[in-house]
Amino acid sequence: MKFLPLIWSAIMRKPARAVLTLLSVVMAFTLFGLTIGLNATFNAIEQTSRADRIFVNPRFGEPLPIAMGRQVVAIPGVAQVGAIGALFGYHQEKKNNVFVMMVDDNLRKVRPDWPLSAAQWDMIAHNRTGIVISRITATRWHLNTGSDFVLAAPSIPKADGTSSWNLHVLAVVDDLPAWGNGFMMGNFDYFDKARPVADQGKADWFEALANDPDQAAEVGKRIVARFANSATPLQTITEKAAYQSSGSGLDLMAVTRGVAVIGLCMILFLSANVIAQSVRERFAEFATLKTIGFSDPAVLALVVLEAAVPCVLGALLGVGVAAAFAKLMPRLFPPGFGIPVPTMTPMVFAWALLSAIIVALGSSALPVLRLKRMDIATALARR
Amino acid sequence: MIRQIFIVSALNFRNLRQRFWQSMVIVVGLAATVGVLLSMNSLSEGMLKGYLKAGDPGRAIVVSVGATSEPASHITRDMAKLISVAPGIAKDADGAPLADFGINATLPVVRNDGSSSNTTMRGVGPRALKIRPEIKIVSGRMFRSGQREMVVGISAQAQYRDMKIGDNVAMPDGNWPIVGAYTSGDVLEGQVLGDADTVMTATHKKNFNSVLVRLESYNSLSTLKNALTSNPALAVTAERHNDWYKRFSAGFSGFLTAIAYVIGGILAVGALFGCLNTMYAAVSTRGREIATLRALGFGAFPVAVSVMLEAILLSVAGALLGAAIAWLLFDGRQQPFGNNVYHLTISPAGIGLGVVWACVVALLGGLLPSIQAARRPVAEALRAT
Repeated sequence: MKFLPLIWSAIMRKPARAVLTLLSVVMAFTLFGLTIGLNATFNAIEQTSRADRIFVNPRFGEPLPIAMGRQVVAIPGVAQVGAIGALFGYHQEKKNNVFVMMVDDNLRKVRPDWPLSAAQWDMIAHNRTGIVISRITATRWHLNTGSDFVLAAPSIPKADGTSSWNLHVLAVVDDLPAWGNGFMMGNFDYFDKARPVADQGKADWFEALANDPDQAAEVGKRIVARFANSATPLQTITEKAAYQSSGSGLDLMAVTRGVAVIGLCMILFLSANVIAQSVRERFAEFATLKTIGFSDPAVLALVVLEAAVPCVLGALLGVGVAAAFAKLMPRLFPPGFGIPVPTMTPMVFAWALLSAIIVALGSSALPVLRLKRMDIATALARR
Repeated sequence: MIRQIFIVSALNFRNLRQRFWQSMVIVVGLAATVGVLLSMNSLSEGMLKGYLKAGDPGRAIVVSVGATSEPASHITRDMAKLISVAPGIAKDADGAPLADFGINATLPVVRNDGSSSNTTMRGVGPRALKIRPEIKIVSGRMFRSGQREMVVGISAQAQYRDMKIGDNVAMPDGNWPIVGAYTSGDVLEGQVLGDADTVMTATHKKNFNSVLVRLESYNSLSTLKNALTSNPALAVTAERHNDWYKRFSAGFSGFLTAIAYVIGGILAVGALFGCLNTMYAAVSTRGREIATLRALGFGAFPVAVSVMLEAILLSVAGALLGAAIAWLLFDGRQQPFGNNVYHLTISPAGIGLGVVWACVVALLGGLLPSIQAARRPVAEALRAT
């Protein structure tokens, strides 16, 4: 501890250099925080996704007769089935895309893990024009319980000839990792009966719950086989498989990791140079320290710590900046924009800290070697 | 003055070797920044390229009013016939209008990594290849009209499972064999083509999605537009095919570009601080040398410029290095993304942008050190160790 002033004075020997180095490190770790935080979000999505929930989608994009739901639930291995109608539209301006899942009353049994109380599910079932929304959507559209929310859906005409849907907010609930931009749920029956007769009785997709998570993929195949020769063939996927981060065809986690590593390499190079330079400048000082009795490990520790201070401090600051940015993100990007919000879990901080220490050790390795091999007499004489 | 700048800069570059590792901080910083920027951008560039190439300005697409995508547009057979006889549409040798009634269907596919996705199956008519001459069958043969068979784009063939010639694809009305493969140089390469009427029957659809026409001349779009909008039996609009795709792809690729810029921007700021650090160090280690030059009669301005030049040279070298690495790793690689396959692209324009970024970083990072170098009192600098 008593050597702390020594390290501090070494760092502050060139304050401009110290500050610039720190700022570089902060930037790299801001990026690190955002990318690894994004991976934390992907992990959370994959972990909270359920292996026993099966998405039942039309194979060729056509809406599905709701009667299919009853046939699906009769298939062995299926415990529950719920239907969802997709109300796609916009709020006020065309760029404000809005998506409301219009759900039937059975969906609560398929989504028992969703953050809605039984009373809130009841609200959806009993209020035709009511919606339950998540916090992120509430913030985004400035809504509270009781607010009215009008949405225009030109592609979903209503029987009355208009395409504007007047909804009101019943409750605001917690968000889900997989729905990084928030979600909205309304009443399927209202959605269905408000449409022209020709469009009624159709769901956009079903969600089924399998009795046994290990059998879910098999059950999914059974569902597909059951309707293989119907007018609307199906495709199924378990939620677990659907929410893999590589689902878009691009391995997003590999991309974010790559970016984080490149940022770290840049910092490693920079920090190594700064510390090498600092040691070079003070070669004689180190020789003096050794002469007055500092042990080899003590001198080396001084160098490593000198490298570690900006790295660790910068890492913490950088991840802090990333966390602040992540907090602002839902306000900066409209929902449905497709980018998940990074989550700053303790693991992200731990990884940042670990990386910072590795960078510090890596960047002080060469100077440390030089100091170890140093011949005190020559070093002192060079003065 | 120019001569002085030249001499001082030459001196700088000659002793760069002594400051090699220190200077590499700038090179590595900019290589990382530009490499990441271009790599991240390669998907959106590929997306833009794939869509823009698909839109020949000599073609127009006719969709129902307000439709922002082909699946959202509905055109009945009667409407399609009316559209095809509108003025402004080119005719083939037999006098038949070059208009093709198209239908889009989603086709589930399995990517090579085993994940499931969808691609677009386009139903096209007999004149499709005259309107889209870029589509060329490279193996097998074209599908026959009225037959339940399909041809696949070469990217779809490369990225999805079970897309070889002779494989069967499950359609709503049973298996359709793949009889050929085509190139087109655009997004269509990641898609599948079949006969429009047969696709319609198979997918239980009654309407077409769009009509693609070849314009008589580049300027006949307005003729066609006027004819279509003034016809009360039609609620359709015509748009130049490249404008349609531009609008279509702009939103998403713009979003990806924004992400690339944010990430590249953060790295660039990091590199900027590194550059400042290095240039300050360079100026201070060369303090004596600079002072000597000044004492010999070299002006403050040439000294400052030489410092800037050094920063720019190192930065641009870094940018080119980063661009080269990104190009070697990613350019031309096929990347399935969403429901399409794109060719990752690192364009000369993108590399140019990277070099501009590098110059900006160098200017910002070299400015203060160069001023410091020029301002330092000569006598004091000469005495300093």
